[in-house]
Amino acid sequence: MAFFAGIDVGSVTTKAVIVADGELGVYHVAPSGANYRLAAQKVMEEALAKAGLALDDLAYIVATGYGAANADFAAQQVTDISCCARGVNRLFPQVRTVIEIGGQASRIIRVNAEGRATNFVVSERCAAGSGRFLQVIARVLQIDLEDVGPLSLKAKNPVTYTTGCAVFGESEAISRVAEGTPKEDILAGVHNALAAKISNLLERVGLEEECAITGGGALDVGLIMRVEQRLGVHLLVPPQPQITAALGAALLAEERSPISPA
Amino acid sequence: MVKKGLEWAKSLYQDRAQRAKELRNHGKKVMGYICCYPPTELITASGMVPYRITGTLEPITEADAYLETLMCPYVRACLDLGVKGRYDFVDGIIWPHTCDNIQKTYDIWKHYVPHSYYHYLDVPHMSDPSSFEFFAKGLDVLKESLEEFSGVKITDERLTEAIGLHNQNRALLRELTYLRKPDPPLISGAEMTQVVLAAMSIPVEEANHMLRETIAEVKERKDGLKQGLRLLVYGSEIDDIAFIKLMEDCGANVVIDDLCIGTRHYWKDVSADGDPLVSLANRYLGDIMCPRTFRRSPGSRQQDLDNRFGYIRDFAQEFDVQGAILYIIRYCDTFEFDAPEVKDYLQEAGIPVLHLEDDYSLTSIGGFKTRIQAFLEMLE
Repeated sequence: MAFFAGIDVGSVTTKAVIVADGELGVYHVAPSGANYRLAAQKVMEEALAKAGLALDDLAYIVATGYGAANADFAAQQVTDISCCARGVNRLFPQVRTVIEIGGQASRIIRVNAEGRATNFVVSERCAAGSGRFLQVIARVLQIDLEDVGPLSLKAKNPVTYTTGCAVFGESEAISRVAEGTPKEDILAGVHNALAAKISNLLERVGLEEECAITGGGALDVGLIMRVEQRLGVHLLVPPQPQITAALGAALLAEERSPISPA
Repeated sequence: MVKKGLEWAKSLYQDRAQRAKELRNHGKKVMGYICCYPPTELITASGMVPYRITGTLEPITEADAYLETLMCPYVRACLDLGVKGRYDFVDGIIWPHTCDNIQKTYDIWKHYVPHSYYHYLDVPHMSDPSSFEFFAKGLDVLKESLEEFSGVKITDERLTEAIGLHNQNRALLRELTYLRKPDPPLISGAEMTQVVLAAMSIPVEEANHMLRETIAEVKERKDGLKQGLRLLVYGSEIDDIAFIKLMEDCGANVVIDDLCIGTRHYWKDVSADGDPLVSLANRYLGDIMCPRTFRRSPGSRQQDLDNRFGYIRDFAQEFDVQGAILYIIRYCDTFEFDAPEVKDYLQEAGIPVLHLEDDYSLTSIGGFKTRIQAFLEMLE
């Protein structure tokens, strides 16, 4: 049996996926920290340990993500856009539009039946459209990122964010805290602001159903709910949304490997 | 050893002012100008050296004291060089009334950057018959003012000769551009940008000589570029090779552009017939395809779009491109307003488009690389 791996070195987390015969074997996710090279190595090692394999057992590795160049053990680099399209296609072949909420940026990717990206748009450098905005606000409210989603669902009067900027958004959140606004209302307001950003991005490439949401942002049930509300569509969520691009990278590794799977 | 052709262009690109400073030491006057609109023919006819003002990618350290950071980053970069004294070798400056940012920076430049001569050129925003008449009169005022400053009378004969030289310059730049048509092209997009900038930094006769050498050199190339996806780049003031090189490092070939430091500057000639000032007015106001000028289209919406953007589609088809990159400098309202329509227009013509927005300093080049690579992966 031949094994293939994909490693996605993201700005916030690094993910590794190992596949065998086109099926997901094991995966591992850990923070990228400030040393992407080290993170790539450690996450790959952890994934290999879970699978009981050594690096030499992998026939081919594809690296993706913002820090892909740091995974020097990979044979090839493919962009996260192509990898995400490929990964989603494996999980949900019927999906034609993917909303990927990453740490550094959000992306809308249009996917065809073959799992290739046909169009895409990336949120601009500003952090307001990305998962980073949620991190910033969670820090202001002194809550764990995992608690953001469930807590936000309790909101009764979501606050209205007047800014599209993460830096101003932070001071706006602090003002609401000072006014005594409940945390859940602040969080729901942030989700609404993000949903509006995503909806604007979608305008640019068009929405074709079915639609999936991936990336670390898709771990946040509150965000998913607000995006669905805003767009009026049902969103498909992979069981492990963070590893979608890494899975795509592993599948591409299998396709592109000079050694065909046994 | 005297540098020739591409090597000379590269050297000028790296130290743009070297020749202009040398000529100035020999008593020549150097006349700076910003943007595509001031007619360089008038500068040449007055015996001065036309010198295009540009920015650089170095960090803006002083201009922020005079201009808000939400202004056009290109204009801020130019002003930064100005206040740092990098344009002190320029004797005078012609500043056109083109976009808001350039227009308003004139007073600031005049106050903080010392030259012996300043001229503000009114360029109408409309392109009706009365606009051309108005612009020709404005050029007459510029002519008289340049005569006074240079001490040289710009006779019709001198002006016609200068128009001839600049038409030759443009024809040579076009000839070089056509060497990008083969697959792979004979000259890269980054090299082309270097040559265009170099030609904007020396007297036109010398530029024409450099271009002839470059064309001969490029035609002889045997081990040229690699085949790759062929791209068109649309945008404004790309006066550094970094961005075009980034696309070419990703494996693509930039084979045609619609840029200010590119075809927008040299694609159309000035008519050699009739009143030379009228010919200049017609060419500079009518033929420079910049969104700062309003073009009245009496027909349908489709005719309006064809009138405004048809030439970009024609470029794409003539140079056989597989995709187009719209590179818009952040806060450039002039281009931002047109970008969505340009994008739709090209996509409807079957040309895939990647729209990028940047603050000109290319600080987030890593993020761009991913988007360009993904675009290329999509086109493959």
